[in-house]
Amino acid sequence: MSAVAGGIDDRALEELAQVLGSEHLITSKPARMHRARVPAPFPVHRWADHTPDAVVLPGSTEEVAEIVKIANRFGVPVVPRSGGTGLTDGAVPLRHGILLDLKRLDRLIELDLENRTCTVGAGMNMLKLNERLGPHGLIYPDDPASYPCSLVGGRIGTSGWSLIGSRYGHTRDLVLSFLHVLPSGEVVRFGDGGGGKLAKSSTGYTLKPLFMGHQGTLGVATEATLKLYPKPEAELSPFWAFDDYETAWQALRAIVRTDCATFAGAVIFDEQKVRYLRRDDEAYIPQPESVRALVCAVLYGNEDEVRVGGKRLMRAARENGARYLGDEISQGDWAARHDRYATPLHGRTKAGQVIAMSWHCEDAEINWTELPAVRREWHEIVARLRAQTDVFDDWGMFAYTSARTGVSYLTEIDVGIWEQELDDETWALWVDAKRDIARVAVAHGGSISSCHGACREGEVDVVPEELGGGYEVMRTLKRALDPNNVMNPGKYGLDGVFEEDLK
Amino acid sequence: MSPYRREEDVVPPEPQRMSDVAIMRFEHIFEVDPALMREHVRQQDFPNWDTQRIAASRTDHLDWMHRHWATVVVSGEELLDE
Repeated sequence: MSAVAGGIDDRALEELAQVLGSEHLITSKPARMHRARVPAPFPVHRWADHTPDAVVLPGSTEEVAEIVKIANRFGVPVVPRSGGTGLTDGAVPLRHGILLDLKRLDRLIELDLENRTCTVGAGMNMLKLNERLGPHGLIYPDDPASYPCSLVGGRIGTSGWSLIGSRYGHTRDLVLSFLHVLPSGEVVRFGDGGGGKLAKSSTGYTLKPLFMGHQGTLGVATEATLKLYPKPEAELSPFWAFDDYETAWQALRAIVRTDCATFAGAVIFDEQKVRYLRRDDEAYIPQPESVRALVCAVLYGNEDEVRVGGKRLMRAARENGARYLGDEISQGDWAARHDRYATPLHGRTKAGQVIAMSWHCEDAEINWTELPAVRREWHEIVARLRAQTDVFDDWGMFAYTSARTGVSYLTEIDVGIWEQELDDETWALWVDAKRDIARVAVAHGGSISSCHGACREGEVDVVPEELGGGYEVMRTLKRALDPNNVMNPGKYGLDGVFEEDLK
Repeated sequence: MSPYRREEDVVPPEPQRMSDVAIMRFEHIFEVDPALMREHVRQQDFPNWDTQRIAASRTDHLDWMHRHWATVVVSGEELLDE
């Protein structure tokens, strides 16, 4: 049996109600429609195609396991959803079914001050967690752009990327272990070894990363043990202006190569991004025309070390053509980076009129050497879209360090999309462009996605090209672990595995 | 006590042009030129105090975010002076 059709048997609903209690099984239309999409651009004219049949809000790992077992018995898809903030549609149902909302799993289960770990439910938000950790002088430094609204479970399901990962690591480094409900309903703990709070182990296969970033296709994490750091004494976030992108790109390398121990990340803004910000961002509207590209960096740590490192960064920036933009912009803009989902999204028609748009954020991982070429080719793709219709607007590019050596960067082109005007024709244009954008990343030796995942329409077609034989291993694993195809069916093109069975 | 005058609340000060696409009515608060919001964005009367409240709340939020992440914020200007 393969869970690919919509609709839930009444008996399945009865069994779900027995496990959860009727208050945590919701079938009302608004509750289901609210959980059909994520903030990424969405084909609003096809909303009904993505609406789940039922929403469940389990309160324990045991309840999640029972839900998955029921789904297997009745052949119903299960789509896990944490904050619903992911930008690759991981939480968007493709085959209707049960929407497994993890928000009730939001407890701080254990705080181990001696080993500096905590154990939380998958529905815990990082900002709320850090409010609890702050009084103990600790912090959990997993810092996505959705920091105030994304949840630990989603970070595991997408193998998230952190803004300050160059200092503290990304989600894969910060999550020590997690409880995981397999597609069979069996509960397993994945971590480094069996201890649960270990930073390194070589016992057996290293399974933890395999069960991260699968977008719910291999089960669902319900509880995680996290590595904690001392809350930094000090933060420094200088922003520098440059005459052009090329100079900024070279300076970025020099800044990263200062190799300061407190260096937590750097970002480059390209010329289209600065032009976009001049439209309606208070920090950039008053900037002179000579400000055409930017770099910012951030240091976190002990105050004396941050000061010494900061001076070294300032010197490197100045020697490479930078002009410091001042404390007000540097501090204000950095603080806003923790919360980019709060940004108002204004696009423009070609005539300059303001339109409300949703935000597409491409997120390839690209080597430093390839950034200029990828940038040029991506802007050309979006310019072709823009030339055809006002539905698309180029909002410029950022690139963020993913590691302190500067080897590769989360490379982002932001595209505004006028959702209200989407129809099948413009959506098809978008899907073609997504495919082209992904192919550029792969052609330059990059990866389609650094942090979101790569299972949206268009880009997903390029995943086998990027992964080669690795994609065949994905298919083999999916078939072995989820023989009924209940976990998030349709994602990553893995339905094909089961279609072969039907033949 | 002076009587409440609604127009005093909803009539904003004369704008100052800041760029081709932005104006300023209150100090440090930039607004998209209303001429660019005629065709697709519905306009409404907006109390002056609410404009200022939203801007102040944003500043409060950013200050809170700094405190949330670190105890002190080091000044880049200070480092350059040193």
